[in-house]
Amino acid sequence: MRILVCCKQVAEPESLLLDQQGRPDPGVPARPKLAEWDARALEEALVLKESHPGVEVWAVTVGPAEADAVLQRALGMGADQAAHIIASDDPPSRPSGIAAWLAEFARGRGFDLILCGVMSEDAMQGLVGPMLAEVLDLPCATGAVSLALSPDNTGVRVEREMEGGRRQAVELPLPALVTVGASPRQPRYPSLSHLLRAKKAPRLRIEAQNLAQTPTREERRGLSLPQRQRAGLRLAGGSAEKAAQLRAILEERSLL
Amino acid sequence: MSPETVVPPEGGRVVAVLERGPAGLAPVSLELAAGAKLLAEWLGLEARLVVLGDQPEELARQAAASGLPVMAVRVPGLTGFSGEVYRQVLAELLPRWRTAVLLAGHTTSGLDWLPGLAGRLDAACVSGVEGMRLAEGRLVLRRATMHGKLVEEIAPRAWPLCLTLQPGALASRVTTGNAPGAVEIIETAQPELRTKVEDLPGEANADAALSQAQVVVAAGLGVGGPENLELLRRLAARFPNSALAGSRPVCDLGWLPYRQQVGLTGATVNPRLYIACGISGARQHTVGMQGSGFIVAISHDPQAAIFNLADVCVVDDLPAFLQAFLDLI
Ligand SMILES: Cc1cc2nc3c(=O)[nH]c(=O)nc-3n(C[C@H](O)[C@H](O)[C@H](O)COP(=O)(O)OP(=O)(O)OC[C@H]3O[C@@H](n4cnc5c(N)ncnc54)[C@H](O)[C@@H]3O)c2cc1C
Ligand SMILES: Nc1ncnc2c1ncn2[C@@H]1O[C@H](COP(=O)(O)O)[C@@H](O)[C@H]1O
Repeated sequence: MRILVCCKQVAEPESLLLDQQGRPDPGVPARPKLAEWDARALEEALVLKESHPGVEVWAVTVGPAEADAVLQRALGMGADQAAHIIASDDPPSRPSGIAAWLAEFARGRGFDLILCGVMSEDAMQGLVGPMLAEVLDLPCATGAVSLALSPDNTGVRVEREMEGGRRQAVELPLPALVTVGASPRQPRYPSLSHLLRAKKAPRLRIEAQNLAQTPTREERRGLSLPQRQRAGLRLAGGSAEKAAQLRAILEERSLL
Repeated sequence: MSPETVVPPEGGRVVAVLERGPAGLAPVSLELAAGAKLLAEWLGLEARLVVLGDQPEELARQAAASGLPVMAVRVPGLTGFSGEVYRQVLAELLPRWRTAVLLAGHTTSGLDWLPGLAGRLDAACVSGVEGMRLAEGRLVLRRATMHGKLVEEIAPRAWPLCLTLQPGALASRVTTGNAPGAVEIIETAQPELRTKVEDLPGEANADAALSQAQVVVAAGLGVGGPENLELLRRLAARFPNSALAGSRPVCDLGWLPYRQQVGLTGATVNPRLYIACGISGARQHTVGMQGSGFIVAISHDPQAAIFNLADVCVVDDLPAFLQAFLDLI
């Protein structure tokens, strides 16, 4: 059985420093990382691999040359194969385009299960997974918090979480696509032996420009810093001074 | 349609697909109706609402209170939610209705059925819309990106346009006391399905003390470890009628039980005072606490998204600040 995990590289949120115009500070490059829910999806795939003989796990990313780091991470965590669809991320590709490229890569490679994150940690769109399922005409479930193969390995049963903690079980025949959400399994750390292998492991590299291009149906008109919804008073000084100011504010409002 | 068309086709419709909550229409449904009304007015189109279900009449009646016409689609056997059913049924109906704009909630169900359908309809698609405006006759949608640290504005270049609306975004636009819109019942057959869906018995996941507390002290990953929760417990103890809560990852790690989780998949709270300790401010968290009376946020990331909805922002190391604050009160 072959499992494909779609892995996006994102900037570590705390390392992302923006100027007044919302541009990243060129002096302090953001630290890249594997997006949170993609890491969880990969963890689920690796757990399936460990508990079922003959499971092979692939990781694929769409991004610039530097995005190879997420493939390294995925291989380090235990993925068997890695593929890189090389595309510039400035401006970021639209979800329908990414889905089309991933579909072109996945088609004919015999993936029984494709896993995505429920949404990418930075862009938070939640679109690429279900759009990919549509292009490949696969049954799809989103926001899985757990997933298990059926006893005869012909289907997958997922539990998806909905508003207010309500849950739903969905059974899908394979091949299928599942997006993984707030699953409670913590993604494992890469192991040293896997990392050593990852450095040398070959990657399948594909130039996005050689794949089919979808029309751009949405156009980004601008980026800006969010507007404050409330006063957003910033306290100044050391910890003790800020603590004193906060006490005064809460007392004034009879909250303390 | 040409990808360069900036105005929607004449005679098209704005269609909002409403959502069922645990009791009747989900709150986001009223905002979807408000959004449909607004878009129809701006784009010179007609608006209508859609509800789906085995017995859609009651939901349709509630939806009609928005004043808009409602299509109640009866799907035999659809008692809960099924993304596949929504996709199949709507893929038939939407083109027939000449849908130019399709709205759904940015929720676990809207995000389940809408993106695939957008693909099938070759539609423009924007999710997590938090605001919209007309700029020189063009529709421009606003959404958060880059971990909530930036806002992007996106204009559709093709129609239909499919969008998911962030709950809370249009709360101020909801109107009441309208003359009810007409309800039309549409009979459909149960579509052929590949997936099987079963609603699981729900856990009572919100702590009663949490929803009733006047002061909520909430822990995020920034607390660093379960040992530091003691500082938050001591802080909570200084306020009468207070409760300790946590973000999702804090509950995933077992530092707090799930019934103390605030957010989309946890509890919604509206205390007089919410103290967010080491919480970055992801939308899935803030939808559960944005209605709080007064919000104090503490994080050492000066650009954490939580600061955009805080009344008071404290940029500091959490344990150091809490210790200093506890020494004073
Ligand atoms: C389908 C779905 C449903 C979800 N439902 C929920 C939900 O109901 N509730 C929920 O909360 N989340 C939910 N999430 C998860 C959500 O998207 C975020 O991942 C989560 O809210 C982040 O939690 P956090 O703020 O505690 O952690 P982080 O995002 O890691 O933020 C930690 C913050 O603490 C700061 N910090 C770190 N160290 C320190 C220090 N020493 N001193 C001061 N500050 C520090 C950091 O700068 C950062 O601002 C859901 C996600 C999905 C996909
Ligand atoms: N550039 C990318 N490379 C690989 N996978 C991606 C990429 N962008 C999105 N995905 C996958 O699609 C999911 C949803 O992304 P999004 O629609 O951007 O929120 C992510 O969690 C990934 O699994």
